[in-house]
Amino acid sequence: MAEPIRPGERDDDRHDRTRLLSWVDMGRVQRAQVLVVGAGALGNEAVKDLILFGFRHVDVMDMDTVVRSNLSRCVLFREGDQSSGKGKASLVAERVRELDPTAEVNAFQGRIQSMGSEEMKGYDIMLGCLDNVAARLHLNANSYHAGVPYVDGGTNGFRGRVQAVVPPLTPCLQCGMNRSHFKVMERRFSCTGQDTVFYQPKMAAEITTTSVIAAVQVREAVKILSGRTAMEHVMHYDGLAGTTDILSLDIDPGCPNHSSPKLS
Amino acid sequence: MVVRVRVRNAETGATVDMELEMENTVEEIIEGVSAYWEKDPGAYVIRKGRRLLRGQQKVQELDIQTNEELELIPDPEGGTK
Repeated sequence: MAEPIRPGERDDDRHDRTRLLSWVDMGRVQRAQVLVVGAGALGNEAVKDLILFGFRHVDVMDMDTVVRSNLSRCVLFREGDQSSGKGKASLVAERVRELDPTAEVNAFQGRIQSMGSEEMKGYDIMLGCLDNVAARLHLNANSYHAGVPYVDGGTNGFRGRVQAVVPPLTPCLQCGMNRSHFKVMERRFSCTGQDTVFYQPKMAAEITTTSVIAAVQVREAVKILSGRTAMEHVMHYDGLAGTTDILSLDIDPGCPNHSSPKLS
Repeated sequence: MVVRVRVRNAETGATVDMELEMENTVEEIIEGVSAYWEKDPGAYVIRKGRRLLRGQQKVQELDIQTNEELELIPDPEGGTK
């Protein structure tokens, strides 16, 4: 005999309304191991959305600490965090547990370059919430070789982009890059002969575009985990014009991620 | 053979006509129009309709018709700072 029901019990279920989306595989969402790389503006929004959606196992990685100018677009940071000495990742993990204390959110302070494809194989999906080409290339290549889907987001002012990479089916980030991307990367790493200088330019950023882009990243993650086709392949968003374009991209036959079976 | 295309600057709406040889690459188009418009240093891509063009692709591979319009769009890379 079925369990008895009681009035109002559905409203006691945190994810009842999400479960009404028939295509969402909530079991898969709740079991998924997620890595969010970058705990700044996009990372704050993405982790918040992941936990509210029902994800329960999220690792957050970032090498940085909070500065006061982060507070205009980071929902999980508070006045005073800039002098706490705590890393962005640990603050995000700590604060997001207020949204769902039963979620398992772990913080890792460090660079994504310290993680290789073997370690990435433990994840079901990764979100790139980064701010530079070099880190994106590392995450892109290693997640691709690990066979783990990767959803990258980027913003600049009122513009943003999202790309969903599902190995081995789709083109990867590097397939869509050209000399202008590599020039940006070269400008950031200049060798003085004795040391490498890392130059980080300040880019325009605001919360509305950040929110849109992070939300699309999380939605793509839900789609991929639920067995739906991810966007094909790159979304470009222009917040000033109010336009969103989904643009297709071919796999680049010369891309090292597609032409070599393993990372060297 | 030369094909004449129009390139639109997605950020300003400005356009410029460009004469391309079959051997020209998408990267050369990006560099040409970026220099013409004195664009800020940054990453850019070119779209043709609903397709993003890869940097190493040559004009002869792109099935570009005379007077067809391409668009230069910035490729945002921020998100943390």
